[in-house]
Amino acid sequence: MSAPPPPPPPPQWVLDLESAGSTKPKNSPLPDPPGYTASLTRKERAQSSKVAAVRKAPTPEEMDTLKMKKAWELAIAPAKQLPMSAIGMYMTGNTLQIFSIFMIFTLFKTPVMAVAGLQRTFAPFDTPGTSGRLIGVKLVYILMNLVGLALGIWKVNQMGLLPTTRSDWLAWEGERTWSERAVPREWL
Amino acid sequence: MRFDAALALAACLAPAAAVFEDDAHHIDFHYALLGLPKHDATFFQKPFAGSKASLLYTISQNQTIGVVNPKDGALVWRQASSHDGAGPGLLRSGEGQDTVVSAAGDRISAWSASDGRLVWETRVAGATVEDLEILEQEDGITDTEAKDAIVLLGNGKPGVKRLDGKTGRTKWTFEDASGDTPFQVSTSPTTIYYISLHTPMIGASKLRVTSLSPITGKKLDQYTLSSDSDIQSREHILFAGANTAAPLIAWTDVANKVLKINIIGTKGVSTFHAPSGEPVERIILHAPDRVNSLAHFLVEYQTAVGHSADVYHVDLKKSTISKAYSLPALKGKGTFTTSTSDANVYFTRVTAEEVTVVSSVSHGVLGRWPVRGTPALAGAYPVHGTSEVVVKADSATAVRSAILFSNGQWSLIRNGEIAWTRPEFLSRVVSAVWAELPEEEEALAHKLEAEGDRNLVSAYIHRVERHIRDLEHFPAWLQNIPNRVLGNVIGKSEESAIEEIHHDTFGFHKLVIVVTERGRLAALDVGSKGKVVWHIDLNQFSPKTTFHSPSMRAFAGYVEVKDASLEGSIYINSTTGGLISSQDIEVRSNVAAEGQSLISFDLVDGDLEGFLDTKSSPEAIWTFEPPKGERIISYTARPVKDPVASIGKVLGDRRVLYKYLNPNLVLVTTVVESSRTASVYLLDSASGQLLHTSSHRDVDVSRPISSTISENWFSYSFTIDSKSATSSRGYQLVVAEMYESPLPDDRGPLGASPNASTLQPSEGNGDAAKPHVLLQTWHIPEEISHMTVTQTRQGITSRELLVTLPASNSIVGIPRQAIDPRRPIGRDPTAQEQSEGLTKYTPMILFDPKWHLNHKYELIGVKNVITSESGIESTSLVFAYGLDIFGTRVAPSFAFDILGKGFNKVQMLLTVVALFVSVLFVAPLVQRKQINSLWTT
Repeated sequence: MSAPPPPPPPPQWVLDLESAGSTKPKNSPLPDPPGYTASLTRKERAQSSKVAAVRKAPTPEEMDTLKMKKAWELAIAPAKQLPMSAIGMYMTGNTLQIFSIFMIFTLFKTPVMAVAGLQRTFAPFDTPGTSGRLIGVKLVYILMNLVGLALGIWKVNQMGLLPTTRSDWLAWEGERTWSERAVPREWL
Repeated sequence: MRFDAALALAACLAPAAAVFEDDAHHIDFHYALLGLPKHDATFFQKPFAGSKASLLYTISQNQTIGVVNPKDGALVWRQASSHDGAGPGLLRSGEGQDTVVSAAGDRISAWSASDGRLVWETRVAGATVEDLEILEQEDGITDTEAKDAIVLLGNGKPGVKRLDGKTGRTKWTFEDASGDTPFQVSTSPTTIYYISLHTPMIGASKLRVTSLSPITGKKLDQYTLSSDSDIQSREHILFAGANTAAPLIAWTDVANKVLKINIIGTKGVSTFHAPSGEPVERIILHAPDRVNSLAHFLVEYQTAVGHSADVYHVDLKKSTISKAYSLPALKGKGTFTTSTSDANVYFTRVTAEEVTVVSSVSHGVLGRWPVRGTPALAGAYPVHGTSEVVVKADSATAVRSAILFSNGQWSLIRNGEIAWTRPEFLSRVVSAVWAELPEEEEALAHKLEAEGDRNLVSAYIHRVERHIRDLEHFPAWLQNIPNRVLGNVIGKSEESAIEEIHHDTFGFHKLVIVVTERGRLAALDVGSKGKVVWHIDLNQFSPKTTFHSPSMRAFAGYVEVKDASLEGSIYINSTTGGLISSQDIEVRSNVAAEGQSLISFDLVDGDLEGFLDTKSSPEAIWTFEPPKGERIISYTARPVKDPVASIGKVLGDRRVLYKYLNPNLVLVTTVVESSRTASVYLLDSASGQLLHTSSHRDVDVSRPISSTISENWFSYSFTIDSKSATSSRGYQLVVAEMYESPLPDDRGPLGASPNASTLQPSEGNGDAAKPHVLLQTWHIPEEISHMTVTQTRQGITSRELLVTLPASNSIVGIPRQAIDPRRPIGRDPTAQEQSEGLTKYTPMILFDPKWHLNHKYELIGVKNVITSESGIESTSLVFAYGLDIFGTRVAPSFAFDILGKGFNKVQMLLTVVALFVSVLFVAPLVQRKQINSLWTT
């Protein structure tokens, strides 16, 4: 076997690919497609930041409105979970199984944890401007969580775990004491 | 088909607590009893002509025919008479026959000797059988076919009948119209002698002997023996009969000094004098009963201190009787038995100490065996018996005697050794109670109570002192541990019964005290297979009384025995059987709680009447008078101890039906014979108020109507008259439940009030409330003669209705779920009803074989079943008595609080040991690995 011939020079497209050339040809006759934003070079970025700084900053009122919007979204988020949970509850049935017990556990845990972490959840939205308005939002959040909790309680009741009926308290009811005792004479 | 399916489903759903195979014969016991055997009807006999071994046949004093294997005392077969027939019970068997013939009352029956099957039965209406003999020979020729029976009838239609041995048909009848009292019949090879007691208007009774032809039954001859006013009634005749060549008749004077003997068929009377010295109390004549045996007999004289005997020979040609020899007088009591071997006659003398065999020919002792006593026979002496003797070359090589001892034990002495004993004194128990022991727990409770009154420091010191005092039991407890563990793993350790009862963790060892008709008292330990702990004869405490049907009541540590013929009552220690004088005990009533007024009720002149505080006021505070024509046949009250765990029944939708729990409920059963009606009245026995009534028509009122009441339900069963034209016939079981209100979650007119009184109802809240009664009736396949309910400690376990079925000789425990009166009728149960365990009503309840408590045992003549709590909640103790004795324990909701026999304790221990060993091996490996890992990182 003779020595292999030297490889041929790579084609142009390989060279193009390997050289990390500018993404944009220097002087392209074609404009960028609509909606395309070319990645900026450092210089351009500096320029553009200058432009942003130039843009009018939002007022605190606008910020507060925005934050309130966000907070409201967060507040009604638990309610969006409810239909899903309800379907899950319905599917698991009223018997005591590992699945239903697990679901109910999460159903109870989530609202309680959520309410416990109330301040932390709403801390990003708490500004001097929003703090007054945020109380209502928090109340709605708590309410929504309570609705989730109510679903859990309803489920537990369906499963017969709540002592709501007379039979649950039967053990605390006593037999009547009779003030007479009658026996056949031969027993005396 | 659907009906069957429904039943099968019901059986699956109801937790039918069957007896497990490995529990059978361990948790239960059965005494298959006969009663005290009769002397003249107990004999050894080969069950069929070619048989090698013989069986022991007997008829007992309560007319039960029993056949026992002489080897081990096991019962081969028995037949109990279904009715208490008048007249003596008789049992005879011909030589080489495969049947035995019995007579009781007006019934003559032949049974297959080997298995007890009925061969034939004849009834002579309106007469009682006085005597029965087998015609061994006819005109001197032994009949090889079935031998005929000669029956002597008395009471109404005196006469003699010859019954065909194969079919029981009458061959001939000789009627006696003379008005004599028939006494006995005796056969000789050529003649049948009919002996009657002729009582003329003036003067003493005379014996009249009539000879009959065996072939035609015609009267051949008749003569009268003058008895010189010795014989007043049949009790004065000592002996008559013996189917020997020379049948005898013997009587004595009132003072037992002169013995007069006549050879039947001759007119001469030989007179002999009883031995002088001690006054003779009783004379008994023992003679062989085989035709071909020598005409020798033995006369036994019993005195107050000892007994002696003379042997006489009969000269057949001259018709004379001569004394051959005397057996020496012995101190103490004893008995003689006669046995034959070919023509030879042997007499066996049995005393408590030894057994001796002599030949009838000479007084030389052929064999002598000292008797090795057993605890069961301690202090008892032989009363009567029967023997089998093997004689080889003029010496007796073996003898076995079935002897009835004075303490009621029937035992077999084989060559001086007690082979077996059967406790026949236990038969016919009329009353039984669970003995209450003086409890240690109670003492502990008192001590703890005492602490409550003190201040903290002194109570603490008291507690510590008590614990230190308890330490004295510690070494013994420690020593016992290996035994207990071994006993647990391997099997039972032997302990004395009383000890067992005191140190019984599970409370299975309970004493039952039983008393028989004749006044014999015995204590049985139900936990250790009915072991007889002690037994005594009540007659020793009151010699003058003849006991008829004693009744008992249990108190802590003692029982009280009462009898109609007994003045006052006898108090007996429960654990020792010793007599307690009435001064030593304080009679306390454990019935009424504090603050309750006690009312007692009783049947007075056919009415049920209630009395306030028995002693002070004799006037009835209420009277229940049944409607005209009705007769109260029984009443059942709720037991004193009837704990109820839950006062309501939880429905499928978790609502509550409140139970009507009145401790004073009494169920009264009445019948009207003329209209064949049975009625049941539920009364409140404090006020006499009628709470519920139900009436049934077309009832066979002659059959038993059993009933029981417990908790908030009662049940009864009766037989529908077979003559009536109703659409359904048979036996019915009715179960009813009482609730405070028909509505769930409602406590009725009384509301939540914690107190109630029916005697003085408070105004406004209507104390006179009647319960809401739900009732359902089922057809059952068999008659129920008695029913009761299981009892547990706290009443948490569901109850079982225990019914006694006399037709199949069994006891069945019906689960409450199967007889729930709330079973839906005509429709399938809803989901909620299903969750309550209710199944669709089926008009017929078949007794599931799994419900039978007695499995293989045959319980004959069960009169009553009593139940008691055990130490654990799941289990109830059951004790049945009557002719037989049976005990078991039942767990209606399964044994949920105790390991069953199926639990492999050995495997568990091995697993623990294996795990321990593996841990020992693995621990160093792990440790090394952990250290290495620390070095390498």
